[in-house]
Amino acid sequence: MTIETEWRDYDVVVVGSGGAGSHAAQAAAQAGARVLIVSKDPIGCSDTKISEGLATVRESGSDDDSEELLSENLRMAGGDLPVTALTDAFAQDSKDAYDRYRVQGLRPAIDTKNNTPKSLPLPMGGHTRRRSVGHRNSGIAFSHANWNGVIQDSRIDYLEDCWFLDVITAEENSQKRVVGGLIYDAARGKLVAVRAPSVVIAAGGLSTLYFPKTDTMRGNTGDSYAVAARGGADLVDMEQVQFLPFCVASPPSFEGLLIGEPVTASFLGVLRDKNGKVILDGVYLRTRAECSAAIMRTVEDGRGSPNGGAYLDMTANRLHPLSGPYFMRFLASALPSAYKVARQALGRAAADCDEAWEVRPSAHYMMGGIRTDANGASVAGEGDGSMVGGITGLFASGQAMGGLFGANRLGSTSLTEGAVFGARSGQAAAKLAREATTQIEDGIEDGAFSDSIAATRQRFGQSGKLAASALKRDLQRESWDNIGPVRTLERISRMDALLDGLEASLDDVAIPDYAEWNQAFIEFEELRNLVTTARAVAAASRERDGSIGGHVRLDCGEISAFSHPYSTVVSKPANDAWQVRRVMRPRTPVKQIAAYKVKENWRKAQVKFLRALPAGMQDRRLEKKYKAIMGDAGAAPEVTPGGVDAAIGEGTKA
Amino acid sequence: MKVEIVTRRDGQDAIVTYDYQLRSEDEKPMVLDVLLQAQATEIPDLAYRYGCRARNCGVCTVDVNDKPRVACRARARDGDRISPMATLPALSDLVVRRDGVARQMRGRLANAGQGNDLNVEAPDDYHALTACIECYACLNNCPMHARNFDGGLPGDMPAGTAPDPAAGYRWGNPFSLLKLQRIRIDPLTSDAGKAAALDHAVELGLDACVGCKGCKCGVGIDLMGKVVRDMVTAASDRQPADTKAD
Repeated sequence: MTIETEWRDYDVVVVGSGGAGSHAAQAAAQAGARVLIVSKDPIGCSDTKISEGLATVRESGSDDDSEELLSENLRMAGGDLPVTALTDAFAQDSKDAYDRYRVQGLRPAIDTKNNTPKSLPLPMGGHTRRRSVGHRNSGIAFSHANWNGVIQDSRIDYLEDCWFLDVITAEENSQKRVVGGLIYDAARGKLVAVRAPSVVIAAGGLSTLYFPKTDTMRGNTGDSYAVAARGGADLVDMEQVQFLPFCVASPPSFEGLLIGEPVTASFLGVLRDKNGKVILDGVYLRTRAECSAAIMRTVEDGRGSPNGGAYLDMTANRLHPLSGPYFMRFLASALPSAYKVARQALGRAAADCDEAWEVRPSAHYMMGGIRTDANGASVAGEGDGSMVGGITGLFASGQAMGGLFGANRLGSTSLTEGAVFGARSGQAAAKLAREATTQIEDGIEDGAFSDSIAATRQRFGQSGKLAASALKRDLQRESWDNIGPVRTLERISRMDALLDGLEASLDDVAIPDYAEWNQAFIEFEELRNLVTTARAVAAASRERDGSIGGHVRLDCGEISAFSHPYSTVVSKPANDAWQVRRVMRPRTPVKQIAAYKVKENWRKAQVKFLRALPAGMQDRRLEKKYKAIMGDAGAAPEVTPGGVDAAIGEGTKA
Repeated sequence: MKVEIVTRRDGQDAIVTYDYQLRSEDEKPMVLDVLLQAQATEIPDLAYRYGCRARNCGVCTVDVNDKPRVACRARARDGDRISPMATLPALSDLVVRRDGVARQMRGRLANAGQGNDLNVEAPDDYHALTACIECYACLNNCPMHARNFDGGLPGDMPAGTAPDPAAGYRWGNPFSLLKLQRIRIDPLTSDAGKAAALDHAVELGLDACVGCKGCKCGVGIDLMGKVVRDMVTAASDRQPADTKAD
């Protein structure tokens, strides 16, 4: 049986329907484009939907906030890797972007005195101003707005249960340009070939590469990066996967979900190995990478917990008669969703901190991605890149794009990112389609599309001995071990060898020939994307010869704050090996770095002093500290998972 | 632990008995754990939806013993029968086609629009409604939704007579009413917008709610109290001839 192909014409195709995709589609439609939005999951079912629902809104909390400050905060958090043009765009647009969620029904609490959305009472770590707005029902409230924006707008066509397989390009005066894309419509059992001059990729992250060691959506199979790389686009900072150290190791039903952050371990929380020996103290001041590294090193020495983690022991916090009750309230209120998961997953004794928690890191967010300019357009070349040499008509936004967050992401920024760059890329994509001087020529289906369609058709009915879902599990296990939170050159090389094998195995995957919802074909396509994405991560990790950001290179030192910062750029030329290079970034002035260093050392000295005190004095001192943090309300200000406030050690990293 | 999994490939249904291997003596697996293990062992291309594994994304709903459950947070028990949600057409194994529901809402969600002062708070009931994760458990036993399938289920319809989901279903359901009620209680919706939302509810078959003993939400939203009753009352106050309960 041959799967049939349906042809369609649009100005803009948007891949993904979360925060970024829905805003891209709305903006493109508003600009007068004919828009198709393609989603493999139901519309709006994305990482945005399952997030904590905090958004960065400039000036929501203080009058003296500014674009310059917000932009600088982002670059500082990202270890100087972020591109200034992108952080500036984020800072400029954050208010309007947030209002677009509100137009579609997002309703925050209002600060009636200043007539702004009400921000959290304290600045989140790394943000030097109050500007993070929380929402009831967390990310679900945002997903209602995204869903509304897509479903309501009759100018937007949408297809769900559809896998976007490849972007189709043509060459023109040695510049590549988009002519459309190929889609597998699983619900209707068809291939859909779309002729379009603009494609916006907004299909999220890659954390499923590490499944089940992740707290994100299953659909994060690296589709964005793989599709862009196969199309010939540059990817930037692909080694920068954000791992959260304290996630569930067992029971399996909760595996990977977040249960704590460094800061919630509080003043006396420590990490222990299976023999009870302390492997990391002062946890609350540590970076996530430090915590992850301590856990993973212990696992490697054979002293890990039964499920490949270590023990987060917070019992000392609780045992103090005066400060203990304050700690328990702090733990429950600082990160309520995570504490709820801990209670359900680990049981009552653990939730009461009568026993230590078995913890293991999880993949949470992809900071790297498709290399773009401030309008989401694919760029190439040196420095911040230029559109010459990029792919004309290819855009990316949201988690799919790279260059905004560098080595670390400030809390509450990702939902805003989706709306800011979704809208920018949608507008730019519509503009490009409108101004396209050369029409997509008649009969292009015989040329640019035909290879891709033929190759895809051949997969239906492919005979073989292997199951893609089984290969996927092998890849996930190996990715964790070799390009996960801890890496070495040797492991990266091992990963490359494994990927060679997996690439060869793709032709031996069994795929039946029926067209409607062919799960084996879907598994195959996602495996193909995961393999390509893992290649990019491995190549960038090899180039990043030091520890910065969310992972640790066991065979290299920390990258000094005084060294010259660089981003990694990887690409895959057709019929050639992956190429890797560095692009240099401007460094934060040394004076600022030094100020952060002093703060960091002061904090570390304080914790040493505290730990040396006799029990009674320690208890009284801690009671005072908790009172100061929690105030009259008796509850801690909430922190965001992944945010710098949840790992205050990271606020001191330059 | 033995469970039955209803599979469907290329239009052919079969029931597979799967013996779940507990990973520890005291493990109490969720239905999703069973599906993941079945895929990892005996049914490598088992088709099923899931997403966040934390009851937030709403995509993993299946029928367990003929009742809709969010698979990632429903405990599996010996003898359970896992089948696709019966209220929507099955595509493959446990995957159903969902988009006929959302599509019926096209053009029916007029929002606040540009130019409004957005700095207005919504009432508590508004936030009660945005807790909806769109799991579609509420379609179960809904007489309004059943009208799409001659009062029954999509699987009962003679071949070729089922409505095309791509066109959007003609008749509504508690989810679509929830979306409309949300618009009605949004302080930024104009009076005309509120009236239009009620019109849409009536068009979608709100009269089916009259005398219905109620719908059940997959995440515990009080659908009767916060959605249906208010709409039925408003509609009957406005259109006594058409929709009033007798």
